[in-house]
Amino acid sequence: MDTSGVETRDAELGGADTSGADTRGAGSRSSAADGARLVVRALVYVVVGGVALVVIATVGSVLGPMVALDIATPAMAAWWTVFTAVAVQGIPFLLLGTVVSAAIGAFVPERVFSRVLPKNPALAVPVAGAAGAVLPGCECASVPVADSLMRRGVAPAAALAFLLSAPAINPVVLVATSIAFPGNPAMVGARLVASLATAVVMGWLWVRFGREEWLPTRRTPEVGAGAATGGWRGFRDGLQHDFLHAGGFLVLGAAAAATFNILVPRSLLDVFTGSPWLSVLLLAVLAVVLCVCSEADAFVAASLTGFSPTARLAFMVVGPMVDLKLIALQAGTFGRAFAFRFSAVTWVVAVVSSGVVGWWLL
Amino acid sequence: MTTRARTRPRLRPRPQGVLLILCGAALLRIALFSELYLRYVKEGLRPYLVVSGVALIALALVGMVSRDHEEKEEEKEEEHGHDHEEEEDEHGHDHTRSPRIAWLLTAPALALLLFPPPALGSYSAGREEARVAAQGTGTFPELPAGDPVDLTLGAFASRAEWDTGASMKGRTVRLTGFVTRDDDGTWYIARLLVTCCAADAQALKVRIRGADAPAADAWVTVTGAWRPTGKPGSDAARPVLDAASVKRVAAPSDPYEKR
Repeated sequence: MDTSGVETRDAELGGADTSGADTRGAGSRSSAADGARLVVRALVYVVVGGVALVVIATVGSVLGPMVALDIATPAMAAWWTVFTAVAVQGIPFLLLGTVVSAAIGAFVPERVFSRVLPKNPALAVPVAGAAGAVLPGCECASVPVADSLMRRGVAPAAALAFLLSAPAINPVVLVATSIAFPGNPAMVGARLVASLATAVVMGWLWVRFGREEWLPTRRTPEVGAGAATGGWRGFRDGLQHDFLHAGGFLVLGAAAAATFNILVPRSLLDVFTGSPWLSVLLLAVLAVVLCVCSEADAFVAASLTGFSPTARLAFMVVGPMVDLKLIALQAGTFGRAFAFRFSAVTWVVAVVSSGVVGWWLL
Repeated sequence: MTTRARTRPRLRPRPQGVLLILCGAALLRIALFSELYLRYVKEGLRPYLVVSGVALIALALVGMVSRDHEEKEEEKEEEHGHDHEEEEDEHGHDHTRSPRIAWLLTAPALALLLFPPPALGSYSAGREEARVAAQGTGTFPELPAGDPVDLTLGAFASRAEWDTGASMKGRTVRLTGFVTRDDDGTWYIARLLVTCCAADAQALKVRIRGADAPAADAWVTVTGAWRPTGKPGSDAARPVLDAASVKRVAAPSDPYEKR
């Protein structure tokens, strides 16, 4: 309503003035109107937000006991706890990942990557895989970063190798592994080798068999469309969008992880510890459904005392590369068609790779 | 000026701003204004949670304020950007709109703001076989001085299972944890061991003998003597305590045992 007033006043002034001085006056007045509008808007936000909060608090305090009854069954309460825990734990890392990816998108020119990485994708894959060691964090961070690398013209094969290796071989994870398996440095080495091998093999498989159309079309550098704006504006918009988008999928993954966490008691596994090969497959499946963060999975693996070292290695190699939370994140970022195929193949490669490395090193 | 004349300022709060503020507020509520975060994640994550919360709120505020200068552009986008987000998001890649999937974030955010879920307790401890990581048998260092000597459940269990030197023999120990009961009447004092977040919780349990079981999930301090059950390193060696006294205590703010 007030805007129409501003508009007409602006229009009048614009029509009436003929001298330059007056134009300047109109400019400063409109910026004053701008400021006033900003204040009004801020006030409205505060009022609307305040009212909403009061309403929510009232409804909450009335409904609270009823809802509390609902979640009072221990299984449901445990589900909510695990669900929020996975989400809370993932958000800082997801934010880190989206900040890095938004910064890459907004501030790092494409030629940087084309200079650093070898032209030949087959050579770029191992380099990118090894570069995964520099991103400290768990798997939530690596998906948005790999996405923005692709958008910056990095060969998909190289970006995918980075995506797989980053959460598995960064220093934080390797240190955690050495703490979880004291006096057993072979386990740390085996994890590093098997994870890196899986990432590189997956990159090469993509070079050989991968098709561009499995990835969303915007992979090809977009022209125009206004979305690819650089600078702070692009950084902010990219960050906001990527975080919300990936955050939604993180919640989806957290719900799946919590469901399996409640449904699958770990003690059930003791039944399967007899056969060494079956136990490798079993722990590889368990890694997918439990979605333990890559910084913590070594400790969980260490506690699975009934299993062979190779099976535990498989748990630690598969976990950071394929799990429900990651599949959800990848489906959101790269599309469903890609995520399922990619995850399935990665799972097979990771199991084979940890089998070979386990037989060799452990 | 002509461009501004055509724009209408919108007073509706932008959905993505609201979402970001909700998430940020939820993080700050559990990590900055209370210690609730200890129910979900390890202690070391606190600074990251606080920084993330502040960053999310700042991002939302900056976004709301500077929208002023971007409205015209948005108006254009809105006309054809409306119905192809979710699936088409990859194509349109319209950075100024919030993807529909993002609304899922309200579930954990509101849960944390309104009814923070409780810490995991006897339900989770009860359905898991308690096991300390295999570390091999050997002698352990002397227990610290003190009578009774306070031990974590993890320390008690690993000494009970792996210590060939029987370092707990003849000492009075005090353990704190919550009560977990089996169907057959045996009960345990339990604690969950959390490495990163509650999703990786592992149960630590010490069987208590010689005292009646309090209600499940009650926090208690048990003082008593270690009862050897078998050769260290064998399956028979289980952590068992002969209780002299069982006292109710308040639940600690950090419910989990650290590694």
